[in-house]
Amino acid sequence: MSLHELETQLRPIFLAALAGDEAAYRLFLDTISLRLRGYLRQMLARAGRTEASEAEDVLQETLLALHLSRHTYDAASPVTAWAHAIARYKLVDYLRRSGRHAGALPLEDEVDRLAGPSESAAAEARLDLARAMEALPERTRRLIDQVKLQGASIAAAADAIGMTETAAKVAIHRGLQAMARFLSKRRRPP
Amino acid sequence: MQTDDLISLISMDSRPVDTGWLRRATWLSAFAALAATAGLVLLTLGTRPDLASAWTTLPVIAKVAFGASVATIALMLFQNSLRPGLKPARRLPLVALPLLVAAGWALLTLVQAPAEQWHALIFGRYWRACLIAVPLYALLPLVALLLLARRGAPVDGGLTGGSAGLASAGLAIIAYSLHCPDDTAPFLATWYTIATAIVTTFGALILPRFLRW
Repeated sequence: MSLHELETQLRPIFLAALAGDEAAYRLFLDTISLRLRGYLRQMLARAGRTEASEAEDVLQETLLALHLSRHTYDAASPVTAWAHAIARYKLVDYLRRSGRHAGALPLEDEVDRLAGPSESAAAEARLDLARAMEALPERTRRLIDQVKLQGASIAAAADAIGMTETAAKVAIHRGLQAMARFLSKRRRPP
Repeated sequence: MQTDDLISLISMDSRPVDTGWLRRATWLSAFAALAATAGLVLLTLGTRPDLASAWTTLPVIAKVAFGASVATIALMLFQNSLRPGLKPARRLPLVALPLLVAAGWALLTLVQAPAEQWHALIFGRYWRACLIAVPLYALLPLVALLLLARRGAPVDGGLTGGSAGLASAGLAIIAYSLHCPDDTAPFLATWYTIATAIVTTFGALILPRFLRW
């Protein structure tokens, strides 16, 4: 698949997602995460890191960043370029934080790489996101557990915990923000 | 947590998103910061004594136009630098335009004047005040833009910081033109340009450390 084809496929989906379409958003995230996983694995391998769990960590951090930065997308620009720039930023940040010089990243880091092999096989992430979850307020954590593990709808999960649906949505949004903050601050020994 | 679970969770938080907010917020912050800075100049230094008659004269208009064009170009760069995937650095040469126009006008003035006036034309009376005041007043818009930048997604902290500094210098120049009593083109081209460079460098060096996300 060429980058152009990927862009043609993703753009209408992402625009629908920006308008609030949940199914389109899910499809966008699924599609872009396959591409980003392939991209991140390639780049990490070039920086001498071959553990799949690391790529998964950076991918999760990137997905959170994409989500919380949707308002920075410029509708006149390619969505692939936007996603790639965010993934690259998170990757460089990750390498710097984990003690490896980001200079190990090849210079010719082109957005075309998103169109390279896509990786559908998710790897087990390390425990970062689990640790990020622990930092959340208890109610939010229970709410997320309900939604995530039992596949409940927000309405049902909110009901089970005794929150209104609106409050549950706000709690999930804040929870995602807190998780993103936690991930971008953590440091790991080299 | 599995990536798939994370995706489910994220997609549940899908609400309509306003992609124009950043643009509007940039211009609004800039106008608010300009008004606040102008107010601060009036409060601390006051206007130049002859402002009532001078504000329609070419030198004052030129200072405002210089500051406004620098600020406008810089704010466009700044706003784009908060959006990943755009390459605003390509438009960086635009910044040179107002500086070159000012420099050209200054040279023209100097060529037409006798050499013994050059010193007075360049240094004016208060070049030190200009060099200190503009960077200090620029701190106010700079802080406003920094706070705004943290709501965006700057992937190039140096560019975001530098363009924020440049824009702040432009806004501070507009505000300071209410006070600045030196009216020659060589003065404007020399000291305002140096002051602009100071604030830009400061922004490019200091802001990135507050812009990690």
